[in-house]
Amino acid sequence: MHYESPVRQPLILGDKSYNQITEDVVRPIESAAPRSWWMVFSIALVMFLWGVGCLAYTVGTGIGVWGLNKTVGWAWDITNFVWWVGIGHAGTLISAVLLLFRQRWRMAINRSAEAMTIFSVIQAGLFPVFHMGRVWMAYWVLPIPNQYGSLWVNFNSPLLWDVFAISTYLSVSVVFWYVGLIPDFAMVRDRAVNPVQKHIYKILSFGWGGKAKAWQRFEEVSLVLAGLATPLVLSVHTIVSMDFATSVIPGWHTTIFPPYFVAGAIFSGFAMVQTLLLIVRKVFKMEDYITVQHIEMMNIVIMVTGSIVGVAYITELFIAWYSGVEYEQYAFLNRATGPYWWAYWSMMTCNVFSPQFMWFKKLRTNLVFTFVISIVVNIGMWFERFVIIVTSLHRDYLPSSWSMFSPSFVDVGIFVGTIGFFFVLFLLYARTFPVIAQAELKTILKTSGEAQKKHHSDHGAHH
Amino acid sequence: MASTKVYWKSFDQLANTEVSQRLAENEFAQDIPADVFLADERSMEAQTSRRDFLKFLGFSTAAATLAACEQPIIESVPYVVKPDSLTPGVPSFYATAYTDGQDYASVLVKTREGRPIKIEPGDAGRFNRGTNARAQASVLSLYDSARLRGPVLNGKESDWSTVEASLKKAADAALAQGTQFVLLTSSVFSPSLQAAIERLRQAYANFQHVELDAVSQSNNLDVWESLIGVRALPYVDLTAANLVVSFGSDFLGGGMAQQLSSDYATRRKPGSGMLRHVELESNLSLTGSNADKRVKIKPSEVSGALAYLVNALGGSASKVALRDDLTKALKALAAELKAASGKAVVLVGGDDANQAKLSAALNALVGAFGATLRTDKPVYIRRGNDARVANLIGDLKAKRVGALLVAGTNPVYFRPDFAEAMKSATFSWALTDRMDETAQLCTAAAPEPHYLEAWGDFRPVAGEYTVAQPTIKNLFNSKALLEVLGALSGDSRSAKDQVAASATAMGLNWNQTVHDGGASVTSGSVAGASAGTAASLASSAKVAKPASGMELAFYENAVGAGFQANNPWLHELPDPVTRLTWDNYLTMAAVDALALGFENETNSDGSLDGSYATVKVGNRVLENVPVFIQPGQTAGTVGLAYGYGRTAAGKVADAMGVNAYALGVTTGSAIVEITKAEDMHEFATVQLGNTMMGRRIVNEVNLADFIADPSGASWNEKPTFHTIDGMMNSEEANLWADHDHETMHMWNMSIDLNSCTGCGACVVACHIENNVPVVGKQEIRNLRDMHWLRIDRYYSSDMSKERAEDENIGGIEMYAKMEEPSESPSVVFQPVMCQHCNHAPCETVCPVGATVHSREGLNHMAYNRCIGTRYCANNCPYKVRRFNWFNYMANEQFADVNPAQDDYGRMVLNPDVTVRSRGVMEKCTMCIQRVQYAKLEAKKAGQPVADGAFTTACAEACDSGAITFGDVNNMKSAVRSAKADARAYHLLEEVGTQPSVFYMTKVRNA
Repeated sequence: MHYESPVRQPLILGDKSYNQITEDVVRPIESAAPRSWWMVFSIALVMFLWGVGCLAYTVGTGIGVWGLNKTVGWAWDITNFVWWVGIGHAGTLISAVLLLFRQRWRMAINRSAEAMTIFSVIQAGLFPVFHMGRVWMAYWVLPIPNQYGSLWVNFNSPLLWDVFAISTYLSVSVVFWYVGLIPDFAMVRDRAVNPVQKHIYKILSFGWGGKAKAWQRFEEVSLVLAGLATPLVLSVHTIVSMDFATSVIPGWHTTIFPPYFVAGAIFSGFAMVQTLLLIVRKVFKMEDYITVQHIEMMNIVIMVTGSIVGVAYITELFIAWYSGVEYEQYAFLNRATGPYWWAYWSMMTCNVFSPQFMWFKKLRTNLVFTFVISIVVNIGMWFERFVIIVTSLHRDYLPSSWSMFSPSFVDVGIFVGTIGFFFVLFLLYARTFPVIAQAELKTILKTSGEAQKKHHSDHGAHH
Repeated sequence: MASTKVYWKSFDQLANTEVSQRLAENEFAQDIPADVFLADERSMEAQTSRRDFLKFLGFSTAAATLAACEQPIIESVPYVVKPDSLTPGVPSFYATAYTDGQDYASVLVKTREGRPIKIEPGDAGRFNRGTNARAQASVLSLYDSARLRGPVLNGKESDWSTVEASLKKAADAALAQGTQFVLLTSSVFSPSLQAAIERLRQAYANFQHVELDAVSQSNNLDVWESLIGVRALPYVDLTAANLVVSFGSDFLGGGMAQQLSSDYATRRKPGSGMLRHVELESNLSLTGSNADKRVKIKPSEVSGALAYLVNALGGSASKVALRDDLTKALKALAAELKAASGKAVVLVGGDDANQAKLSAALNALVGAFGATLRTDKPVYIRRGNDARVANLIGDLKAKRVGALLVAGTNPVYFRPDFAEAMKSATFSWALTDRMDETAQLCTAAAPEPHYLEAWGDFRPVAGEYTVAQPTIKNLFNSKALLEVLGALSGDSRSAKDQVAASATAMGLNWNQTVHDGGASVTSGSVAGASAGTAASLASSAKVAKPASGMELAFYENAVGAGFQANNPWLHELPDPVTRLTWDNYLTMAAVDALALGFENETNSDGSLDGSYATVKVGNRVLENVPVFIQPGQTAGTVGLAYGYGRTAAGKVADAMGVNAYALGVTTGSAIVEITKAEDMHEFATVQLGNTMMGRRIVNEVNLADFIADPSGASWNEKPTFHTIDGMMNSEEANLWADHDHETMHMWNMSIDLNSCTGCGACVVACHIENNVPVVGKQEIRNLRDMHWLRIDRYYSSDMSKERAEDENIGGIEMYAKMEEPSESPSVVFQPVMCQHCNHAPCETVCPVGATVHSREGLNHMAYNRCIGTRYCANNCPYKVRRFNWFNYMANEQFADVNPAQDDYGRMVLNPDVTVRSRGVMEKCTMCIQRVQYAKLEAKKAGQPVADGAFTTACAEACDSGAITFGDVNNMKSAVRSAKADARAYHLLEEVGTQPSVFYMTKVRNA
């Protein structure tokens, strides 16, 4: 039996039995959806359909319905892409990296965090596809055999690296997530009374029988997949950052981008996990599993990555000055003091200043405050991408081509649509999937459950 | 009652012969072999069952249905006998002369498969051989679907014989009643037309011919007529000049009869003896932007300034007090003029009689007569007479005109009083290209052919005779003025015969003259004016006291006088100085705008808005004139362009801008009252950044420094980089593997910033050659112009890095101030197209390899492969890539402006160039179709491609020779020697893109 120091805070609160965990996790699946779920789902669905309409309008009429111009060729499209990809990072980090580092507190949150990853990567993937002028030719970015005298893609292009990075990330994440879900699906299957439901979960659980050999293989596959997924946490956003870093545009052409983007991605991802889990734990009454300690841990991650991002911002400014390149110097001066100063200072306030509140234990354990900060961080990280993309492009080398950017209703509509789509997926997930990896969680009940800990401390360690 | 008529088929039937009776018995004249058929027993034994029949029926129905699903086959029938001049895919060129009522130029017309598609400059040596933006764009006016298609009488469609008869009848009636028969035209300088008019004068004793120039030169012409005896302007010879002083004459841009930009460029080659140009003007014109020294002056100060110079140079004119700073500038200028005596020329803009006299006197005093101002070689292109136009208006109102024939001009639009007078006309008849403002008020209107459809001849200048030939059959039911006038005077010869007769009468070989487009002749020269008489004019000139009120000086931009106002290319071309499109507006100095409460503001999307003003001259009012704040505008003055505010020109021009002619000013300037009006106007600008922000984008040097350091080391420093291997230049500090630049051609382009005047002819030429879509005002306002080639205009700023250092100004404030143009800026122009980088940032980022490098130094764009990620455009440091935001070919938003959406306008498309679809990127190709054509021709001839055998459309259109294109691997090519010149530099060389385009440092003679 694993021994855990009594100094460590319990990870499962309350006097839980294995059955109680099962009941708590399966309750949203087995009970009817409350009215509040339907309300939120309807709003999300309307947003999603509005986005579909805007996308259809774009495809039917042309990219001209967006607010772009001859100088600013990317704006909300790629901002949203990077933002959603960034959000996706927390899931893999929690489920893979923390698994390798044996951080058991991840068990209560990894399922939802990874669901969020997958759903946000889906949103992210929409933008590089639909930002194309000829979206019906989008498959040309794939290196598939063809009859054009075998015409290959351009392997020099970071946009092509994106294609590989995002598709790899999405597929590994989906597999990793799914493997973890198998025992939990089996649990739902075993309890299901409705034959249709039972049948569906039967298919989904791949005939899981819960034999010791199956558990052993399950653990091994999880470890292997964690090993595969871990480099992706670093590589995906590194490659996304290369879209900018390998260019010649002042403000993009920066070697600091890979680590800076990865830190920013984890930062924004954790903020989104916070936003979602604070709602989930409240609505599904899972305060005993997703505890204040979990929230606090994630707040610490937010604080650390936010500070790393802040250091990156300041380094950029320093290097711009130190480089002596007039274009570079102007690009950064223009960010802070030019027409888009408000975007820059929104970014600075949200991303660098706001996480510093988390130095105070009282604040980082305050759920309302955490919720507000998590939203603020997400807004800030959206602005970070907007600042990088639009303020670098709108004033580059030749002042004759300088311009401004303002979004059209279609730009806004598509972004709102992806938020709607994301929540449609997440809300469906919350009612049909076990939102907590209960099988895994049960493995730590005896060591990290509050009741057991109390029992141990009262009666000493019995083996 | 039933008819009892009997019809008979033949005489036999009538006679009721035996044969006919027999035939009548048989229903069929010939035997039907039914018996034979039925007797064939085998046919009865056929094995086709009912099922088989149904099978066959089913099969044939299906087959017929399938066949109907096929694409219709459009058959191309080859010529049985191919016309000699017409090989599909091979262009033919015809020499002709371009006139649109305002401009004149000797041009070459490129036709493909019988359609004129491009205007090129005429043969060297001809007068006005250059093509300005209007001449380039004029080919589209041919295919303007707003043109009048057939004669109209009393608002109803009619035919030529009826409308011509009505004219004849009215003219005869006028003759009988003793009223006038008046022909109103633009300036006529066609010998054949003059002869036809003379014949009409003989035929009708009551005949009058009145000439009207839209933008008047009448007072200038009066003065010169008194000096040289003929109604013409003297020829300005800039090649003989070392100093040109211009008082508000926009001789490089506006509608001057004579095109001077070519001569100007020749004399502006940097070196000792380079032409110096001083401009004194109120508006910041294209010409003033090119000046070495520019002095702000109000129109009312011009006569005083001229008088000052006359007096300073030994003449005598009345004196008036002038501003101190102006006097100081004039004092220096007088010294310069004295020093350049015999090699100086003074030009005056506008049309003020006193200024004309003073300038004639001043030119006489500086020894310009016979040297830089050839009074013996008159230019006949402007002949309008405003006094006679005024008389005509009076006569019309007094009903003294029985028949008015308006041909090729639009007096109702050009002169505000004319509409009222027209209403009193008994009978008016317009020969016009469209139902314009005048034709709508006429009793009858009939279409006149476009110049590309018509025969004609011209004597633009003493010693030159040119012939215009049709390049296409009349698209519509039009008739030339020569033939209309001929019919009235009983001359039934065709226009061609009339022109041929004129040419033959001059002793010219007709075929040769038509082929060459003209010939040198001896006629037209005059004795020349006496300098003494001219100098004495000064004392008779009234010298005005500088006015205190706000003054308005009119000018012309690419739209010119407004004859081609319905041509979208001219509106899409940004004004070279303001960089605004699709508009005219009041240009105003910032101090005046502040005082009067006018504002310009940039919205969050980069679009520009400006307040409206009400402009009043005397009792004439122009409402809703937008105000544009213009650096370099003289305080106390405003400018306004002619040519806009049309009401009946067509869907492109109507309701765009305001009609400057409506203010009724013909002298070029007036005192105005300006008040602020409600609301903001939406401008469409292509350029928001006005200054170079302290960057070395246009490299510029003073002539003295240029001469002192021929190596260029001090004024054309190349960027170098610190590396671990020591200092390196941009070619050596290189991340990439180099392309092979030696084996084959290596196409390079040189752009001489010293020669470029910024006129924009190249931009229009590029549009035409490459089927660049016209996107209209809203899309340009959205900063989505499609220009492959643009001409950047930068103003100098009062702030500089040096000044910031001296005065200890921080970076934030320095850059903020650098964005502000100076109140009196010096101006530079820089044409920028795809730089065809040999290490192209666009090529590496395209995910599908749609943009790739050629072995000949060009950056190719494969439209078919492009998926439209726009990554290439983002990564282009020069921002020259243009994205097809919409389907410009079919989207309704562009139906009114894009010629490719019009059934006629589509005919102008260059068949050698793909029309791009929505969602793909496009950009300058260096006219790859021309490169390929030249290479194929050379290959067929078994010769290497000769230098100068072809060039790009922009280079060809450039009157100043600023653009040189060629193969730098050809040791003898012009572009190779340009590349070796000390003035050559690459734009943004420090980025390491290694462009194939390079620029030649601008040298200012200051």
